[in-house]
Amino acid sequence: MGRPYGLLRAGFPYFKCLSMRRTTNFPVDIAIGKEGRLYILCRSDNTAMIRKYTVEDEDLGTMGRYGQGEGQFTWPVTIIADSEENIYVSDEYLHRIVAFNNEGEHIGTWGEHGTDPGQLNGPAGIAFDSDENLYVVDSLSHRVQKFTKDGKFRLGWGHYGDGEGEFNMPWGVAVDELGDVYVVDWRNDRVQKFNAEGEFLFAFGKSGSGNGEFNRPAGIDVDLHGDVYVADRGNDRIQLFNAEGRYVQKFLGDATLSKVSQAYMMTNASPNRMRDMADLEPQKYLRQPKSVAVSDDGLMFVPDFGSYRVQVYQNMAVPLTEQEFSPPRRSVTLHQE
Amino acid sequence: MSQKDVALMAHLMRRAGFGTTRTELEAYVEKGYENVVDDLVHPERGTPIDEDILERYFGSEGGYVGIWIYRMLNSRCPLQEKMALFWHHVFATGLGKNQHILASTNQIDMFRRVGMGEMRNILLELSRDPAMIFWLDNNENRKGEPNENYGRELLELFSLGVGNYTEDDIKNCALAFTGWTFGQPIPLYPHGYYAPPFLFVEEEHDDREKTFLGHTGNFNGDDIINIIVEQPACARFISRHLYNFFVADEPQVPSWNVTPPQDPEAIETLADAFMASDGDISHVLSVLFNADFFKEARFKKVKSPTELVTGILKLVGTGQGPQPGMAQYGSATQLMGQKLLDPPTVEGWHTGKEWIDGGLLTARVNFAVREVSDASKPGIQDIIARLKDNGNPLSPEAFVESCLDFAGPLVVGDTTRQYLTEFAEANGEIDFRDDTTAAENQALLVSMLQLIVASREYQLG
Repeated sequence: MGRPYGLLRAGFPYFKCLSMRRTTNFPVDIAIGKEGRLYILCRSDNTAMIRKYTVEDEDLGTMGRYGQGEGQFTWPVTIIADSEENIYVSDEYLHRIVAFNNEGEHIGTWGEHGTDPGQLNGPAGIAFDSDENLYVVDSLSHRVQKFTKDGKFRLGWGHYGDGEGEFNMPWGVAVDELGDVYVVDWRNDRVQKFNAEGEFLFAFGKSGSGNGEFNRPAGIDVDLHGDVYVADRGNDRIQLFNAEGRYVQKFLGDATLSKVSQAYMMTNASPNRMRDMADLEPQKYLRQPKSVAVSDDGLMFVPDFGSYRVQVYQNMAVPLTEQEFSPPRRSVTLHQE
Repeated sequence: MSQKDVALMAHLMRRAGFGTTRTELEAYVEKGYENVVDDLVHPERGTPIDEDILERYFGSEGGYVGIWIYRMLNSRCPLQEKMALFWHHVFATGLGKNQHILASTNQIDMFRRVGMGEMRNILLELSRDPAMIFWLDNNENRKGEPNENYGRELLELFSLGVGNYTEDDIKNCALAFTGWTFGQPIPLYPHGYYAPPFLFVEEEHDDREKTFLGHTGNFNGDDIINIIVEQPACARFISRHLYNFFVADEPQVPSWNVTPPQDPEAIETLADAFMASDGDISHVLSVLFNADFFKEARFKKVKSPTELVTGILKLVGTGQGPQPGMAQYGSATQLMGQKLLDPPTVEGWHTGKEWIDGGLLTARVNFAVREVSDASKPGIQDIIARLKDNGNPLSPEAFVESCLDFAGPLVVGDTTRQYLTEFAEANGEIDFRDDTTAAENQALLVSMLQLIVASREYQLG
């Protein structure tokens, strides 16, 4: 499917909430598999795991283990799936990429700690392009590197700084269907866009809490329409931008109790009473989201790090043709045509 | 750089902070003692720690104690963290009862935020703190059904001390705090902790005239605090707490009304500073750290478990950047008798010699010896580099002296020095410049450091 000429943004309502405390403690990222399967990456002090889940709020068990051994991870940051639903996890402490099949069997580990080309130093964001090359944000070396998915180095760019093409501890990365690469420049509070060879295209965002501004943004994803989603962690929100980096809207959270949460609460009288005594307004909001992932069918998954759950939204955007979407305007207008 | 200046600065940074690396220590000495004290009491001059780094690499309240220890090790204003620990010690609030980690950690954050400011504000924030309110039952302190627990402890343990108020003062203090409670937080399950907000419920407040410490009026809690901080007894009580925490071990708090301070003049000096500054804790601390009674108090305190653990970690250079597993150091202090966030009673931890019994001493020594056993740690490698740079082969006596210097500088008694020297003499002269004996030299250094941190003297700070 090619990128549409324009979009009728019909709405982007909250759809549902998945999981709860105990099942997904401190979810940092989520990978979208096939047939509604999800892989929720969880990390907190002295523990980390992947919870295999479904869009129907069903728990399929865990994969991966905390540790420093083969097939284990200590400080996992990002989880993604390839076209065969193999799962890849970056580990910023062990400076490596770990891979599993969708049954959780360890199928590979690669990465050598260092700062030379092809070595890793605090890998954070990872993303595949359409040819399944793997882009890795090498955060502590302030650069992006491109590998084959089994770890052969292709190219890299970037160094420390705040100019074009420079980074300060970058975090997330996403590749759109055209092959362009979006990198979240964490400590510069911005997103930079590059072509597939690392040539700088443009940047958007600055420090702040206003629309289009960031407070230490983390993860990023891009959908089939070219829209860009950024986890604005420090501002407790997701921000949506169009392919040119223009701010569209933000998501602060609208959570309701997930199916498993409701089932849990039906057997717990005391917390039900406490909920009845409490101001429930805060429970709907996102808390320090570190990532966001969008599916091809328009679902936006937000691992709600501080609330042990995943909030899901449904994109209702309708593609528009050239006949349905007038040419770009240079100026705003008050005319109502 | 004189050895005397180095020793004094190390003393300051053990007390006003959590120890230093050797490089940090030398930078402090270069800056000068008075300037360092001035910086320590003004944390607002800089950014004590990169909060974004903390949130990026740690960022979950479950690991708070480990993160707190990371703060202690890395804060550019360690006195701010030391004061958070101090107030945690004085206003002891137990997680064991509260069972709400976010309320408890928010309390520590509050201590960090206001703990070097005015006493009036510190007591006001404390009285509005949900963890404290629940800990001492003020959420059940209502007009017509008063609960005196908080009112009593506010006077007895938090501000004045026994003997400086009457039972009627307690009753009226409690009445003034009726209606000071918190909003019910959303429960932990299914989606995590939510912070309870302070709440003043007017209809539960006893809106009648009260008499407190000779003052009469329709007092609310903040009026009570205003009266408390004007009392010379409050100045003396807080000063004695500061002396006990920063200068030298005093007897346990419950005996203070019958046991006079070991240095009444020092307490009066601090109390005068408190009264003259309207209870400005930073000012009192500045007076304390610049006083001769402080400078002369080297190794007169038993290190708390937290001080022991952080001091060792500073020595070996662990935790200088984000790393997993910081929670293990919270477990270590717990094993030594100090479970951070969960003091045993409202009196807080008993200090001084009570930090040490047979079992606790074993835990302290085991931890210290284990941490210095890994020669690859940056702090040990730094010592090796410095011994290499020394330029000469070291006699056994010089080797002992150098190791004591780098481990403190630590002052040891004749018996300890004799044991250390005998160990060194068994191995003769050591030349750290000789790469052919690097492994043996490294092993000798580790053994010497193990002996030093296991010594009686190393338990004192």
